[in-house]
Amino acid sequence: MEYFGEQLVNGVVMGGVYALIALGYTLIYGVLQFLNLAHGELYMMGAFFGFFTMTALGGPSASAVPVAVMIGIMFIVAMGGGALLGVAVERFAYRPLRNSSRLAPLISALGVSLFLQNAALLLFGARVRLYDTGQFIDLRSGISIGRIRIDPTEMMVVIGALLLMAGLWLMVNRTRLGRAMRAVAVDQDAAVMNGIDVDRTVVWTFAIASGLAGAAGVMSGLLLYPVDQYMGVFAGLKGFSAAVLGGIGSIPGAMLGGFLLGITEALVTGYLNPTYADFIAFLILILVLLIRPRGILGRPAIAKV
Amino acid sequence: MSTTPEDSRGIGTDEWVAQHGERAQRGTGLYARIGEAWMGLPSLVRWGIPLLLVVLVPFAGSNDYILRIGINLGLFLLLALGLNLVVGYSGLLDLGFIAFYGFGAYAYAALASEQFGLHLPSLLAIVIVVVTTAAFGFTLGLPSRRLTGDYLAIATLFFGQMFVVLMVSSDAVQFPWMDEPMDLTGGANGISNVDQLSVLGFTFDSNLSYYLLLIVLVVLATVATKRIHFSRHGLAWRSLGEDSLAAQHMTIPTVRLKLLAFTLGAGIAGLAGAIFASVQQGVYPSTFELPLLITIYAAIILGGLGSIPGVLLGAAIMTILPELLRFPEYSNWLFLVVLILGTIMYLKSWKLVPAVFAGMIAIGFIANVIFLAIGVPYLTTAEWAKGPLAPVLGSWIFMPEERVLIGNIAFVALVVAVAWMSLLTRRTTIILLPFVLWLAIFTWEVRLMLEPSITRQLLVGALLVVLMATRPQGIFGKPRVEVL
Amino acid sequence: MMSGSPESESNPTPALELIDITKRFGGLTSLDALSLAVAPSEILSVIGPNGAGKTTFFNVITGVYTPDEGDVLLFGESIRGVDPHKVARRGVARTFQNVRLFQNLTVRENITAAMYGRTNASLFDIVFRTPRARREERENEERVLDALSFFGTRLQGYRLDQPAYSLSYANRRRLEVARAMATGASVLLLDEPAAGMNPKETQEITEIIGRLRDERSYTIVVIEHDMHVVEGVSDRVIALDHGVKIAEGSFEDVATHPAVIEAYLGRGSAARK
Repeated sequence: MEYFGEQLVNGVVMGGVYALIALGYTLIYGVLQFLNLAHGELYMMGAFFGFFTMTALGGPSASAVPVAVMIGIMFIVAMGGGALLGVAVERFAYRPLRNSSRLAPLISALGVSLFLQNAALLLFGARVRLYDTGQFIDLRSGISIGRIRIDPTEMMVVIGALLLMAGLWLMVNRTRLGRAMRAVAVDQDAAVMNGIDVDRTVVWTFAIASGLAGAAGVMSGLLLYPVDQYMGVFAGLKGFSAAVLGGIGSIPGAMLGGFLLGITEALVTGYLNPTYADFIAFLILILVLLIRPRGILGRPAIAKV
Repeated sequence: MSTTPEDSRGIGTDEWVAQHGERAQRGTGLYARIGEAWMGLPSLVRWGIPLLLVVLVPFAGSNDYILRIGINLGLFLLLALGLNLVVGYSGLLDLGFIAFYGFGAYAYAALASEQFGLHLPSLLAIVIVVVTTAAFGFTLGLPSRRLTGDYLAIATLFFGQMFVVLMVSSDAVQFPWMDEPMDLTGGANGISNVDQLSVLGFTFDSNLSYYLLLIVLVVLATVATKRIHFSRHGLAWRSLGEDSLAAQHMTIPTVRLKLLAFTLGAGIAGLAGAIFASVQQGVYPSTFELPLLITIYAAIILGGLGSIPGVLLGAAIMTILPELLRFPEYSNWLFLVVLILGTIMYLKSWKLVPAVFAGMIAIGFIANVIFLAIGVPYLTTAEWAKGPLAPVLGSWIFMPEERVLIGNIAFVALVVAVAWMSLLTRRTTIILLPFVLWLAIFTWEVRLMLEPSITRQLLVGALLVVLMATRPQGIFGKPRVEVL
Repeated sequence: MMSGSPESESNPTPALELIDITKRFGGLTSLDALSLAVAPSEILSVIGPNGAGKTTFFNVITGVYTPDEGDVLLFGESIRGVDPHKVARRGVARTFQNVRLFQNLTVRENITAAMYGRTNASLFDIVFRTPRARREERENEERVLDALSFFGTRLQGYRLDQPAYSLSYANRRRLEVARAMATGASVLLLDEPAAGMNPKETQEITEIIGRLRDERSYTIVVIEHDMHVVEGVSDRVIALDHGVKIAEGSFEDVATHPAVIEAYLGRGSAARK
């Protein structure tokens, strides 16, 4: 029973990370009807940014500031850097193609993906990095539910993810920017005619989506996942699967999908075979697309002929 | 409406106005005239000359390395033609296409190596491989038939990734009816000692033999593709790529045709895979990763989606140029030539060219002075410069000792500068051009030259982005009008 | 089942017949128990204010939507829910409200593409250029010129190799009709064929629709807003509003029908007339 509990905890924690990535996909798709193939690379960059911030501050062993502050700064840098990068990608690679064919932005995203992966390789080197969280967080502390242990990093990731999601939900539903995003998502031309600056809204959407991806990257690193330039490929694909599962275009859907995927993966890893973990996301994606393409919380698309 | 006299070609007639678009595209410069002269030649000549050159290559000193490149090119051409069938006409963005190449290679290795102790005759093995890969393509096409652009792209991308993971992790598969796990695919090390092709007693055991075989296959594939292009199927694919719903209303069975495209494309990729396995005499999973897929896409997009000469040219460029990057001497030349040509084409006016280049050279020397003044440790020309351009570059480019660090900074600065320049007016761009050009060469020499394979990927990625933004139809494609 | 049209027993099988067709989208009932019949070589016009369900009615016939209730018969055989490409092969072709040509294909290619269902060459035939492939190629070329000949000199000569996006608006609409003809259909559904045309072009298209029936025996259903076209072309007219047939008969009957006037001009207008 406690084994099940442990897997569940793993699943929820990873689910939080997947949910953040899925949110990025859903936000951008909602606003632009475009699937950003390069989204995973922003997650990767976030992980690297976080890592270099950590080492710059003296970590992992000899941080010059209190640990909490260090972690906070890592998140800020990763999210800010990710946001900037995402905005730049939108500006230079996607915006010129806004009125082009449906294929063009996808091809461009492929190019961006390849470019970012290799830029990371060039600038950061091929060495795989590890956050070595154990050196600045006592992994033996943390809480226990019954005999199931949850270490501080895992708590931090889940709480952090939930906080970010709550913040996002508030922003989308309670602020002018959020309203603008929702308007552009429904009808871009009508939004323009109502005085909404579509370009600015898109920029903010990318900034937020990429910032969330950056945060996910840091969380991944803190959870001791290795940081290398290809980590974004699978994370991106899984995040996408989570978004589709929950219903692409739906924010609660992305959150739900992320957690569901994380939990399913953890259970499969724990009870069947670890090697099949990667296949789960793919299987889920195919099943959803075949059986219920709109996902759990998505609304069916009605196209006017 | 008055009809125009048959022999009147005057300005202002309907025909003249209607052909305005074509004339605007044609252009009047030197390149345009050369292009027109070339297109004026009979088609047999236009295709025959490159073919002749290709056939004569082995006789111009049989350098095995060149033949090897030729073989890679031939395989790439087959893949490009196959992918064109899927993407070029119907717009089905299959980002998992490489999985079929891999499947073909692995299937052939399974049938003709020590892995399972099977050594089937080559022809039989190839037929089996092509048929099973085509079936595999059909199976991927089935769930995909209802997916639209973006979804199809990511779903197939995922599929391609999963294929590699499957190949790598299938070296210890435990079947319930067996005592011990079975090694299906050799895991990360792949399968070695794959048989060479052997047809009717003749064994393909030299690069030359494979080279010639591929010439024949590529020619056959090109002829077949051309015929299909103009056939009812080709038109049906292109119609469904334009407007799937309207196509359905015009008797076109779009679902069936999408499946057919997937199947055919997969079959061709399977054939290429089988030959690849026998040439290499082995098959390794790392070959079939994302970079190869993106390179093939870059090839057909650069050449022009849907255009057969374009696809072939694009494949040629994407195979040969990266090879040149392996040799610092050649790559230096290549980079400088491309930079200079590109600048000249951008400037369009012969008056500006000397000014820009003089400025670039000046900035180079100024930069040297600044570096020296700061006291940056550097390397002497002899220590780093290679190739025929060494003395020139050595005296003009400052080579810091800390190549990686300073090179990285220069790289980031270069990317930022180029991106930013895309937003500026033409005038400001030209003023900044000398600096950016110098920075590009500096970055190239100091940092990028240290990592040819990374540089190659960077260039392909950048190429795709720039291509989509400036000339999405590629070299031979026609500009398309999209209704969104 | 009163359909308001001549009883089927005393007349030959209708070319096209809708029986109690109902189509709902969520809470909206787009077509409500709609029944009508079109005789072979008849020209039927369908009029009604925007949102009346006219294009939905076409979409149900061609198989884009499956009706929730009711049946669609083509020469007596049901085509309810049949895929669009099969409906086209069985002889129903259409044009679209917003002209859906294959933009980047040439005029010739647009028309040749529509002949897919009439040809049989397999990939084998094509790759090896068998006699069948070559014969069909020749036949196709003849059919292209034949379909275009209907429009006089407009889409001939050099225009054949122009991309469709470069055509004038009126030519694009004509090309769409020619493309529909090329499918080999015997029933044409024309969705606002005269939209956006000037009076002269409108006159031309009216004549062409008439000639399509007189010279080639097409059965034609026309959705139109331009009453000049409706008047000039129709054997019968049907008026729809909110998915319901509110009038049927000759043009004069329908045009003066109080329910029709009310639908277009609002309540009370009928009384004022």
